[in-house]
Amino acid sequence: MIIGLLLGCLAGILVSLQNTLNSKLNAHAGTWMTTTWVLGLGFLASFVIGFIVEGTNFLNLRNMEIWYWFSGVLGVFVVSCLMQGIHLLGATYAISIVLTSQIGFALLFDSLGLFGLEKIPFHNTKLLGVLVIISGIFVFKLDGRQRIED
Amino acid sequence: MKGIFFAIIGGGCLTLQGVANSHITQGIGTWKTATITQLTGFIVSCIILMLTRDYHLGSLKQVKPLFLTGGALGAIIIFSNVTAIHHIGVTLTVALLLISQLGFTFITDRFGWFEGKKQEVRLSQLIGIGMMVLGVAILQIA
Repeated sequence: MIIGLLLGCLAGILVSLQNTLNSKLNAHAGTWMTTTWVLGLGFLASFVIGFIVEGTNFLNLRNMEIWYWFSGVLGVFVVSCLMQGIHLLGATYAISIVLTSQIGFALLFDSLGLFGLEKIPFHNTKLLGVLVIISGIFVFKLDGRQRIED
Repeated sequence: MKGIFFAIIGGGCLTLQGVANSHITQGIGTWKTATITQLTGFIVSCIILMLTRDYHLGSLKQVKPLFLTGGALGAIIIFSNVTAIHHIGVTLTVALLLISQLGFTFITDRFGWFEGKKQEVRLSQLIGIGMMVLGVAILQIA
């Protein structure tokens, strides 16, 4: 439990750090150059770590299923959606809605037990918790200040 | 309206990707998952880059090396995300991720780290984060 909580927080800190670093690159190189660079480097880093951790077993693709390859394409699809959203709504509103959608879909997927997730029964209290989180996102974001990059 | 649609789909796909990756991990392990998903993402992004002809290789040299390293974090982000989902479910993982993401960005802005402009703390930001933490507490009661 505690490991899950800590790793969830770590992921958020690193996403924030990555957004801050990438925004500088984005300003010079544009969205697709940045996305390509970032994913390429992420691939390299994962490959190196995987090879160190698992050794030659890392190159064994026995349990591979075809659809596994397509999860990565979702990431690129996300980038296009965000570009369009930010273009049409401005960064603050677009990102607030993206964050809202992230947590909303999370509750939906947990409740449905999608993709072999352990089904976590839906509760009105859970919905209330998510609504309070979403309100928090909007109070945080809509203070009249722009931060383009995240 | 169209913008809202794109933002909703984008957010939904972000969560979907975490869930899908978490499932793939059970088949081939965490690091292989991180490796192949970023490889296919990289390839598709390359194709789009070629099609849009929006490549400026020189621009990579104009940026301080530090700002080129963000991508490497992707490996650890995917690892943390899928492992957290296994342990505590998607809702709690995403909730904590969003709180620490906004919180860390807030601290980065406050102190002007990474060549950013220092920004003053606003009460609304503190209240917002406080509400998100309260929301997580409510999730835990359920």
